[in-house]
Amino acid sequence: MATVAQKLSAAGTSHALELRGVDRMFGALAALSDINLEVRPGEKRAVLGSNGAGKTTLFNCVTGDFLPTSGRIRFFGEDITRLPAHERIRRGLRRTYQISLLFKGLTVLDNIYLACRGVSRGRFSFVRPRRNEALMQSAEELVDAVHLTDIRDRPVAELSYGQQRQLEVAMALAGAPRFILFDEPAAGLSPTERGELIEILQSLPSHVGFIIIEHDMDVALRVVESVTVMHNGRIFKEGTPEEIENDAQVQELYLGDGHG
Amino acid sequence: MNRFVQRHPVWSVIILLGAILLLWLIVSPWPAWLEETIDRKKVFINAVFNGVTLGALYFLVASGFTLIFGLMRNVNLAHGSLYLFGGYLGYTVSDYTGNWYLAFLVAFIAMAALGIVLQIGVFRRMEGEELRQTLVTIGISIVLADVMLWIWGGDFYQVETPDWLYGAIDLPIITGFKSDGTAVYMKYPAVRIFILVASIIVGILMWLALNRTRIGMMIRAGVDDREMLSATGVRIQLVFVAVFALGAGLAGVAGVVGGTFQALAPGVDTRFLLASLVVVIVGGMGSIPGAALGAVLIGLSEQLGSVYVPTYAVVTTFLIMVLVLAFRPQGLLGKG
Amino acid sequence: MAVLDQDRPGAGSGAREASRAELPAWLRRIHPVVWLLALFLLFVPAFTNSFIQFQIFGWAFLLGMIALSLMFLAGYGGMVSLVQMTVACVAGYMTAIFGASAVESISLFWPWWVAVPVAIVIAVIFGTITGALAVRTTGIYTIMITLAIAAAFYYFGEQNYSILNGHQGFNSVHAPVLFGVDLHDATPFYYLSLSLATLSYFAVLYVSRSPFGLALQGIRDNPRRMAAIGFNVTAHRIAAYAFAAFIAAVAGILLTWQNGQISPFTAGIGPVIDILVIAVIGGIGHPIGAFIGAIVYVVLRTFAIDILHNIGLDPSRFNMLVGLGFLAIVFFSPDGILGLWSRWRSSRSGAGLARVTGGGRGRDVE
Repeated sequence: MATVAQKLSAAGTSHALELRGVDRMFGALAALSDINLEVRPGEKRAVLGSNGAGKTTLFNCVTGDFLPTSGRIRFFGEDITRLPAHERIRRGLRRTYQISLLFKGLTVLDNIYLACRGVSRGRFSFVRPRRNEALMQSAEELVDAVHLTDIRDRPVAELSYGQQRQLEVAMALAGAPRFILFDEPAAGLSPTERGELIEILQSLPSHVGFIIIEHDMDVALRVVESVTVMHNGRIFKEGTPEEIENDAQVQELYLGDGHG
Repeated sequence: MNRFVQRHPVWSVIILLGAILLLWLIVSPWPAWLEETIDRKKVFINAVFNGVTLGALYFLVASGFTLIFGLMRNVNLAHGSLYLFGGYLGYTVSDYTGNWYLAFLVAFIAMAALGIVLQIGVFRRMEGEELRQTLVTIGISIVLADVMLWIWGGDFYQVETPDWLYGAIDLPIITGFKSDGTAVYMKYPAVRIFILVASIIVGILMWLALNRTRIGMMIRAGVDDREMLSATGVRIQLVFVAVFALGAGLAGVAGVVGGTFQALAPGVDTRFLLASLVVVIVGGMGSIPGAALGAVLIGLSEQLGSVYVPTYAVVTTFLIMVLVLAFRPQGLLGKG
Repeated sequence: MAVLDQDRPGAGSGAREASRAELPAWLRRIHPVVWLLALFLLFVPAFTNSFIQFQIFGWAFLLGMIALSLMFLAGYGGMVSLVQMTVACVAGYMTAIFGASAVESISLFWPWWVAVPVAIVIAVIFGTITGALAVRTTGIYTIMITLAIAAAFYYFGEQNYSILNGHQGFNSVHAPVLFGVDLHDATPFYYLSLSLATLSYFAVLYVSRSPFGLALQGIRDNPRRMAAIGFNVTAHRIAAYAFAAFIAAVAGILLTWQNGQISPFTAGIGPVIDILVIAVIGGIGHPIGAFIGAIVYVVLRTFAIDILHNIGLDPSRFNMLVGLGFLAIVFFSPDGILGLWSRWRSSRSGAGLARVTGGGRGRDVE
């Protein structure tokens, strides 16, 4: 334990996620500029902002879908700025996608099984999974947790939009996540499904932190303890949900964008 | 260009030095020690010129291939068949009429028409299904190869060169000195010089058309971002048909060119399909300047290779391809 | 890539099939057919001559195996590799070089049980390196790059005399005599190729439901997401090339024994493309398609010229027949003969019609 603590202090941080001066350019367009962000382990945070504010780009840089143009990203003290995406996932980072990126030809259970397999040993195994295999069981538990038990053997292509969104969330919960990025998980869900999602988010273990991009303030503010507002690729404001809700500038920003 | 220099100063210097060395090798008479190590200057210059003119021919074929691929993501594996078909047609026309220019015209129009029929009749029906389109082009190439074998048989044909391009001309390059001290100038077949000049003109025209005309800009935009092209409300099908016609027509013209200074026979279609593939992989898929660079590189490597390492001429060519794939998979001038 | 869209048999993994009260419908329906087919294949030598056993079935099994290796890459991995025939030929060349052949100046005359494993290892290494080059770009580029590499090997074979003996290649490369049985005889060779083809077929089926195979299909559907759940996409793709190369290499050695020789001609552009044609004709969505395509191809290759001649057509138009047939398949049934079959079945049952959209195969989903 002492060595871990030393390592953390040597890295100068105990943050779950730490961004220092992160920029991302697309040609001449700055999608992110000078992002400085610190999230504690176990912290639940929302990122708000209008379309094009850079929220999804921020996620893409953190998970390694593409690299930041400059700046550094640390995950539990370790510099992951140049690490390939799959290595970050193996270190306990997870994400969901705004547009469902699922394996449409495979069944629901196979999708989740793959997600479990991706963060454990035996990714190259040629041996078929057995029913009593631990991974298969945890996959089945996840299927139950997101209420997809009845349709777990159906190919994903046949699922409804809401069911696909739930599957997205389930895949991000596979293995032992330490930190999760949710990209608009509630978009397009029915009120019932929304309730189920909030339940899942609230039931996450206390040591698992997350960042959630969400337009629906009701959903966002019920599950988070801190809020970051982004605007034009920059961090505009940070604070508690109450502070942000009552912030005049944020109000103005949202009114100005027609969110009323 | 300037940005390249700024970004890669070391590479720029190396390329510049290489160009100066090549220019010196071509222009100045060689000192004795050099001729001792790598044979006579005449051999080298000949190989270089053959390489560049072969590259010119490759460019004519590959530019159409790369345009079609870049815009429509259609790997046209029947491209070599269009080349050979155009060449055969050109041969037949010039044989009957004795008119070399008419051969080009007929080959271009016939192949462009075939291209239009293929695009409208076949590929439009399976848009976005890249693999299926490619499979169709394989089928077409098999059928066309047999049709051509049926009509023209297995003989070798060569398109007759017009009188004014017969023989060799003197180039202002000194290859050596006679015993009395007068300089010996390099002689080179006029028809090959003609091909080189014609290819450069075609290349410049294509560049101008792509960069200075409205339809050209649309095509370039489409190569970069195809969704954007359809979003701008352009009649994208019309652009597709035009590009396919141009690409196929160019292949036909190249067939006549190739038939004039090489030969036409079964199997030539595969050879030029492969040449196009390699040129486009090396130069960068979808890029016209890339096709030009790749064509010259491959032409030079083939000719220099066959002079200096005759047993491994083909290997040098493919070695270039493998190196490019390993270190710059999008091709030398391709967009990463 | 609609052609690569394919159904997962029964839409259930092996683990869950066992848990079901009864076998899935498709399994019950297929079973008698499979048994009949197995019986038929076992007793083929009882009622056929050596030509049928050796030249028809033997050849079809081997081409089927090479097409199967392509099917594995294309159907499960979404990578249409044209280099599989070349990998097979590399293995063939290596058996000739390390083992025995008529070219005494090159062949090393090692015993076959050393030469064959060495040949397989070298061919797998070749296939893996090719894969490593090809996966640096994806999608339709794969076809171009692998075709170019296949052509490179062909021309290299034509030009290189010191190792590959140039245009001639190697003659008298014979199958070994094992426990007094000459494997070059028709019936032993029939059973040898049948058993290896069956083995590789079931190996591919089994692997397709293993974590490795599932991950490969996940990569086909969505590589970006695979990376986002912890998979190294590039490494997986290269491993798939290695696995496919192994199957192709085994088939390549047998093919060389069957022909008794190996030369650049076997690795030419025509044969390379033919493997793709075979896989597509049969149906690239399922492993059995490779063998269906192979038997159709071999029968056509062997008898079409006679048939054309007998019905008064010019037999030299054989290639046009193949080309037109191939075009017809690609146009009307992108999933090959398998696609035609499942369409016919679903139109008879009337139920699955709605699922047969855009030429895709009907799915056996309850």
